[in-house]
Amino acid sequence: MAEAHTAAQQSHGGGHVTVKTYINVAVALAILTAIEVATLYTPGIPHTLLVSALLFMSALKFFLVVGFFMHLRYDSPIMRALFVGPLIIAIAIILALLALLGAFILLPRHVP
Amino acid sequence: MPGTQAAKTQGVLWSWLTTVDHKRIGILYGSSAFIFFLIGGIEAIIMRLQLARPDNTLVSAQTFNELFTMHGTTMIFLAVMPFSASFFNYMLPLLIGARDVAFPRLNALSYWIFLSGALFINAGWLFGVAPDGGWFGYANLSSTQFSPTHSIDFWMLGLQILGISSMLAGFNFIVTIINMRAPGMTLMRMPLFVWMSFVTQFLLVLAFPAITVALILLMFDRFFGTLFYAPSAGGDPLLWQHLFWIFGHPEVYILILPAMGIVSEVLPTFARKPLFGAPFVIFSGIMIGFFGFGVWSHHMFSVGMGPVADSAFSIATMLIAVPTGVKILNWIGTLWGGSIRFRSPLLFSLGFIAMFTMGGLSGIMHASPPVDLQQTDTYFVVAHFHYVLFGGSIFGLFSGIYYWWPKINGRLLDERLGKWHFWLMLIGFNMTFFPQHFLGLIGMPRRIYTYAPDLGWHFWNMVSTIGSLIIALSFVVFIVNVVKTMRSGTPAGPDPWDGRTLEWSIPSPPPVYNFAIEPTVHDRDEFWLQKNGDGHGGKPASRPRAATPQDIAAIHIPPPSHWPLVLALAVAVMVSGLLVSTYQIIVGGLLTLFCMYRFAMEHHRPAAGHGH
Amino acid sequence: MADHTATHAVHDPNLGTTGLDHRKMGMWIFLGSDCMFFGSLIGTYLSYKGKSLSGPGPHDVFNIPLTSYSAALLLASSLFMVLALTRLNENRIRAAAFWLFATAAFGLHFVLNQVYEFATFALDEGLTLSTSLFGSSFFVLTGFHGAHVTGGVLWLSILMVLALRGKLDRRDYTKVEIAGLYWHFVDIVWIAIFTIVYLIP
Repeated sequence: MAEAHTAAQQSHGGGHVTVKTYINVAVALAILTAIEVATLYTPGIPHTLLVSALLFMSALKFFLVVGFFMHLRYDSPIMRALFVGPLIIAIAIILALLALLGAFILLPRHVP
Repeated sequence: MPGTQAAKTQGVLWSWLTTVDHKRIGILYGSSAFIFFLIGGIEAIIMRLQLARPDNTLVSAQTFNELFTMHGTTMIFLAVMPFSASFFNYMLPLLIGARDVAFPRLNALSYWIFLSGALFINAGWLFGVAPDGGWFGYANLSSTQFSPTHSIDFWMLGLQILGISSMLAGFNFIVTIINMRAPGMTLMRMPLFVWMSFVTQFLLVLAFPAITVALILLMFDRFFGTLFYAPSAGGDPLLWQHLFWIFGHPEVYILILPAMGIVSEVLPTFARKPLFGAPFVIFSGIMIGFFGFGVWSHHMFSVGMGPVADSAFSIATMLIAVPTGVKILNWIGTLWGGSIRFRSPLLFSLGFIAMFTMGGLSGIMHASPPVDLQQTDTYFVVAHFHYVLFGGSIFGLFSGIYYWWPKINGRLLDERLGKWHFWLMLIGFNMTFFPQHFLGLIGMPRRIYTYAPDLGWHFWNMVSTIGSLIIALSFVVFIVNVVKTMRSGTPAGPDPWDGRTLEWSIPSPPPVYNFAIEPTVHDRDEFWLQKNGDGHGGKPASRPRAATPQDIAAIHIPPPSHWPLVLALAVAVMVSGLLVSTYQIIVGGLLTLFCMYRFAMEHHRPAAGHGH
Repeated sequence: MADHTATHAVHDPNLGTTGLDHRKMGMWIFLGSDCMFFGSLIGTYLSYKGKSLSGPGPHDVFNIPLTSYSAALLLASSLFMVLALTRLNENRIRAAAFWLFATAAFGLHFVLNQVYEFATFALDEGLTLSTSLFGSSFFVLTGFHGAHVTGGVLWLSILMVLALRGKLDRRDYTKVEIAGLYWHFVDIVWIAIFTIVYLIP
C-alpha cells in the first residue's frame, strides 16, 4: 500500500491539488464559458475583436483544464514536453494549412 | 514419433504467435519485410520489363497502374518501414541496456496489426482489384466517380490499419527510450541509432494522424457521400494533397533517419574511431525531424499555390539540406584517419553515403520551383527518390542487416557472398537509376506504361531494365548467403566486430532477458570503454560482475499472450466489414471492444508476487 | 557501483528510470498525437468555412443555448473526474465509483445531446453529410469528437463497475489517472470546437 502510494505520488509530481482548487477551477471555467456566450450575443463588437476575445477565453479554459485537471502544471517537464510540443506543431500546421487553402487572405494565389 | 513432432511444431508455432519478446517480434517484422520487399521487387521488375522496349505489350495500362501503385506502397509501408521496425524492436532495448520495451504486449499488437494491414492491401490482387491510384492516391482520381471499383478501398483501409500499427509502436518506443535506459545513460550517451530512432518515433506519431484524417475524409467521400474532395460541391482536391504531404514529407524522414542511425553505428565500429562530432550528428537529426514538418508543399510546386507559398517552402527545403550535409561531413570525418576494415557492413554504409549524397543533390535541384516545374512528374524525380530511398534507406538497412545479423542469429554471414551482393547491388542500382535522370530531362513522364519508339527514350530504358535484373541477381546472392549460413555459418560469438556499444557485450543470440546484470553506462561507447579504457590513459571501466543463477532467477520475463493476435484479427474483421456488410462492421467492432477489454484486464490483479 | 544485487527490492515494473509511470507517459504522447488528429480535422473544417455552394449555413442551424449547455456538461464532468481520482487516492472506493458514474453520466448526456442535435439538423434543417462542405466537415469533426466521448464513457463505466465489484482501489491510481487524462483531453478538444465551430461567426 505504501509503495503504491509512493508510486502515485511520484507519478503525479510535487504539487498536491486540493478539492478546493479543483472547484475553483471549475467555477472559473463556468464563468469563462458564460462570458464567451455573452460576448457572442453582445451587439456592436467588431469582428476581429470578437474573434480574438473568444479565442483568448477558450485558450484560457484550455490551459486551466490542462494545467490543473490534467495536473500538467505540477508534473514532470517531460510530460509537459510530450504534450506541448505536438500541440505547437499541430497549431502551426493548422495555420499553414489555412493560409495555403485561402482561408485567410494571406497568400496571393495564382489566378489561372 | 509423428504425434510428438506435430505437437512440438504446434508448440513452437503458438509460441511465435503469442510472443511478447521484442527480439522475436523484431524477427517477425524483419522476415515479413523481406518477403514484401521481394514482392515489391517483382512488381518493379515487371514494370522494367514492360518499359524495356517502346510500344511493349507485356502488361496493360491498367495492370501497370496497379504495379506502380503497389510497388511504391509495398516498398514504403511494407518493406522499408518494417525493416526499420525490426531493428527498433530487436536492437533498441539492447542498445539502451534494457530487458524489453515499455509495453511488450502492445509491441506484439503492433506487429499483428501491421501484418493484417499488409495482407489487406495485397488482398486487392486476389480479387482482381489491386490498388491503382498511385501510392499517394490523389483526389479526386480516388473518388468513386473515377475509381468505381474497390481498388482504392483496399489501399485506403489497408493504410489506415498500418497507421494504427505504426502509431502504437511509436508510443511504445518513445516511452521505452525515455524511461528504460540503463543507469548512467543520459540522453547524450545514447547510441546514435537510438537517437535517430527516437526522432523517427516522434515523426511517426505526429505525421500519421494527418494521413489518417486524409484517409478518413476519403473514406467518408467513398462510403458515406461526403463532399470533401468533390470539386462539384466546392471541395478542393488540394486538401488531400496538403494533408497527404503533411504526412508524406515527415514520412520520408521516417524512412531515412533509422538508416542514418545505422550508418552512424557501423562507421565508428569499422573505422575503430568514435563518431566524429556525435553531438552535431544528433542535433542535425533533431533538426531534420523538426523542420521536416515545414517543407511538405515542395511536393506541390506545380499546383499553383502562388509565389509566396512556393518561395517559403523552397527556402525551407534548401535549409533542410544543411543538417543533412553536416551529417555527411561528420561521417566522412569518422572515416578519416581511421583504421578501416572493409567488411560487408561497412561497404553498404559507404554505399549509403555516396548514393544518398547523389540523391540529395537531385533533391536540392527540386527545391527550386522553376527547376522543379521541368522535373516534377518526370523520371528525374523517380531517379531522385530511388537514390535516397534505395541508395539511402535500403543500403543503410542492409548495412544494419550485415552488421547485426551475427548478434541476432549467432552466426556470421559469408563475407565473400556479402561483397558479391554489395557490388552487384551497387552496380545494378546505378545502372537502373542513373539513366533515369537523363530520361526525365529529355521528357519521359512518370507512370506511363509505354512510349513511342521515335522519342529517343528506348536506349536508356533498356539500360535501366538490365540494371534492375542485376539488382535482382544481387538479392539472389543474399538469399543464398542466408540459406547457406543459417545452420552452418561460422559461430559469431558475442563480439565479432570488436564493437563499441552494449549489444556486443551479451551472447549471440542474446538470452531472453538480454542482460543478466543491468549495465551501468559512462559513455556512448560504453562497451568499448569497458574493453579498452578511455584512450586518455584511464583504466578500462569495470565490466559487470559475472551473473549468478540467483540473478537470472530474479529476472521477470513478461509472459506470452494471445490477445495481441486476437485483437488484431478483430480489427481486421471490423475494417474489412466496410467492404462486406454493416453487420460485419458491428460484429467486428464489438469483438474489437471485447478484445481491448480482455487485453487491458489480462494483468489486472495478477497472482501474488508479480507486482502490478 | 557497477553492479546490482539480485536481492534488489521489488520495484514497480510500471515505473521507469525517470521515476515516471510508463502508462502515464504513453497517454501524454498519445494525446499529443491526438492533437494532430483533431488539428487536421479542425483545419479541414476551417478551410471549408464559407465555401459551401448550397444548403444551410452554420448560423442557420446552430442551437447555441443547447451547445453551451453541452459544453458546461463536459466541463463539469472534468471536475467530477478529478474528484473521482481524489477519492480513489483516499481509498474511498464507493465515493470514487460515484464520481466515475457522474463523469460518465454527464458524458453520456453530452453524447445524447449531440445525437439530438444531429437528428434535428438532418431531419428539420436538411443538413446531412452529403448536403454541403459544411455538412460534411461539421458532422465528421463533431462526430469523431463524439466517438471519442463515447469511448471515454465506456472506459469510465468499466472502471466504475470494477470499483463497485471491489476490483479497483488505490493501487490502480495510475490506471484511473490515465482514463482521466483521456477524458480531460476530450473536454479540451470540445473547448476548441465549441469556440471555433459554434461561436466564431
